[in-house]
Amino acid sequence: MSPSAIAQLIVSGALMGLVYALVAYGFSLTYSTSKSINFGQGVLVMVSAFCSLTLLNVGVPYWLMVPLGLGIGALLGLFVERAAVRLALEQKSEGWILLTIILGLLGFSVAENIWGRDDRPFPTPLPSESVRILGVSISPLEISVAVGVFAVMGLIELFKRKALLGKAFEAVSTDRDAAELMGVSATRTVMLSYALSGMVAAMAGILVSPITTVGPTLGSALVLKAFSVAVVAGLDSGFGVVLVGMCLGSLESLTSFYVGSGWREAPGLILLILALAVRPTGVFGKAMIRKV
Amino acid sequence: MKKVLIGALVFGIIATQAFAADTIKIAITGPFSGGSAPMGASMRDGAKLAISEINAAGGISIQGKKMKFDVIERDDEAKNERGALIAQELASMDGLSGVIGTVNTGVCLSGDRHLQEKGITKIITPAAGSASMTQWSKAGVKDLSIFRFAAHDGIQSAMVVEEAINLKFKKVALFYDSTNYGISGRDDMLEQIKKQGNKLEVVASEKFNIGDKDMTAQLIKVKAANAQAILIWGIGPELAAVSNGMAKIGMKVPLIGGWPLSMSNYVENAGKNGNGTLMPQTFIEEPITPRIKAFIDAYHKAYNVKQIPSPVSAAQGYDAVYIFAAAVKQAQSTDTKKIKEALEDLKEPVKGVIAYWVHPYSKWDPANEQTHEAFRRQQTVMGMVKDGRVVFSSKADRQRIIKDETAPKGK
Repeated sequence: MSPSAIAQLIVSGALMGLVYALVAYGFSLTYSTSKSINFGQGVLVMVSAFCSLTLLNVGVPYWLMVPLGLGIGALLGLFVERAAVRLALEQKSEGWILLTIILGLLGFSVAENIWGRDDRPFPTPLPSESVRILGVSISPLEISVAVGVFAVMGLIELFKRKALLGKAFEAVSTDRDAAELMGVSATRTVMLSYALSGMVAAMAGILVSPITTVGPTLGSALVLKAFSVAVVAGLDSGFGVVLVGMCLGSLESLTSFYVGSGWREAPGLILLILALAVRPTGVFGKAMIRKV
Repeated sequence: MKKVLIGALVFGIIATQAFAADTIKIAITGPFSGGSAPMGASMRDGAKLAISEINAAGGISIQGKKMKFDVIERDDEAKNERGALIAQELASMDGLSGVIGTVNTGVCLSGDRHLQEKGITKIITPAAGSASMTQWSKAGVKDLSIFRFAAHDGIQSAMVVEEAINLKFKKVALFYDSTNYGISGRDDMLEQIKKQGNKLEVVASEKFNIGDKDMTAQLIKVKAANAQAILIWGIGPELAAVSNGMAKIGMKVPLIGGWPLSMSNYVENAGKNGNGTLMPQTFIEEPITPRIKAFIDAYHKAYNVKQIPSPVSAAQGYDAVYIFAAAVKQAQSTDTKKIKEALEDLKEPVKGVIAYWVHPYSKWDPANEQTHEAFRRQQTVMGMVKDGRVVFSSKADRQRIIKDETAPKGK
């Protein structure tokens, strides 16, 4: 096999992997503030993508649809926080696990009933002609995925590090009770993290839909891989998910080439099992010592 | 004046009630909602168009009495269990003359036996894989009331291979989905390549799963093998993923495959990347003859659309009704068993929108399903995707259809 074909496999795999990374980043956002994650994150991706498509269909221009779509994602994130997470956290129970899964299932059937079961094309203003860089073809859509993922993650990381409200993230993440005593509202911070996580999910939906088309199952495959990425990288790793996401994407691409297309889901699952068995905190995770 | 009007109205109501029993009851079944809906609904609408034309002309004269069609509609949602329930309901219905419809092979397999048990005549259209008929020959059924009105997979795979040879391709890649449909399509194509003189070399054979969105790995193999065309067997969304993947890696070879390539979930999802894709069709939505134009215009007007969702299904539903009506006329009865006998030996040719049907069916022979299959090679043409529509791919097909209408030829 020629080196350029292998390069092509790695590059297109890695670019798809960036989408996994973005969804995984949504997991780590909420995990850092509340040690909880939304298991229905994939449904959030799908529902926001469908809402954005509906906006486009009623005539909203593409560039206005993007912020509106992100807003819808944030609202959905807030809804998940209020409906499934808040009370469970206040009671220090693990009820959010079941509740987020149930909310996801509900969202799935609602979407099926509103938008139907068919896959639909998602229009994009980008041209479809690929560009060739060193013998590797990359489509403008894939470039938009890379740009979008880094832009959103960069902005949120900047916000977390520079803005006062962002620093509350770090504070609540480190010690919720101490942060409360210092006047940081933990509830508000958790709400904010869920809103951001919903926004990130919407971004993933808007970026990936023109490539994969939109259907009710859009999120199902994504969320499983994103979960693998988040766990392998470490749920509190921040940019670590990008590296792991890209690796997983290329690994899948190479596996389906060399082993067979039926095996493309295998690397993600094997990595997930390995990570949980060998290094539960993840490759980039911080091993935490809990003082009692 | 007023009294006369009321009198006429009252008489009218009594009259229609009195004649209500004298109708030809026909059931139309198929998926009118869900993923297969474009096919099911177009078939239904095409069939109802034919029925309303026949009824508007006064109906069919049976033993001196004009009888109109009365339609019973049932939505099977492409679900096997619903199909079975509907078939049971229809089988126990009084005075049902016949059934037209069904898109999904599974629905045929689970439902048709209830109709066959009661000897109710059914014309399967617009689709359903070969298994919907081979199940009867395998069981060795002696007397069959099920007919089919669709270009079966055998014709389609023969045409796909023929097209690749005609286009002077030497090296081709086979692409197929991992379902029964895809694998049997691959086997059919391989057999046809052998049958048609081994003129094509299969340089790559790749499969994909339902729901796959990324075909890069398989396509790179095909590209590396220098295939000149991809012969493909699968359904809409995955087919679109193949076309979009080809555009991504900058690969430009034609896609030739089964008729799902003409469905909206391929044509729309592939968009510009679908241009040039070839597939067998029984009907193309181009008003090339007065008769075809009349059908297309009537459909657009009746259902207020600019484009028929699935033109093949609409035309097949339309022609199936006319063939059924011809059988009713010949049988001079609404009895489903007599209609079946008439269908097996139609004396008068039926002028349809797809073709001029001369003796489409003959007495059922379990050794040869062709006896209950109406379509032959000459009733199918090659279609090509062009800017979101399916058009004729060859001028010859177009000319042949225009000629057929002026000087009809049977099979």
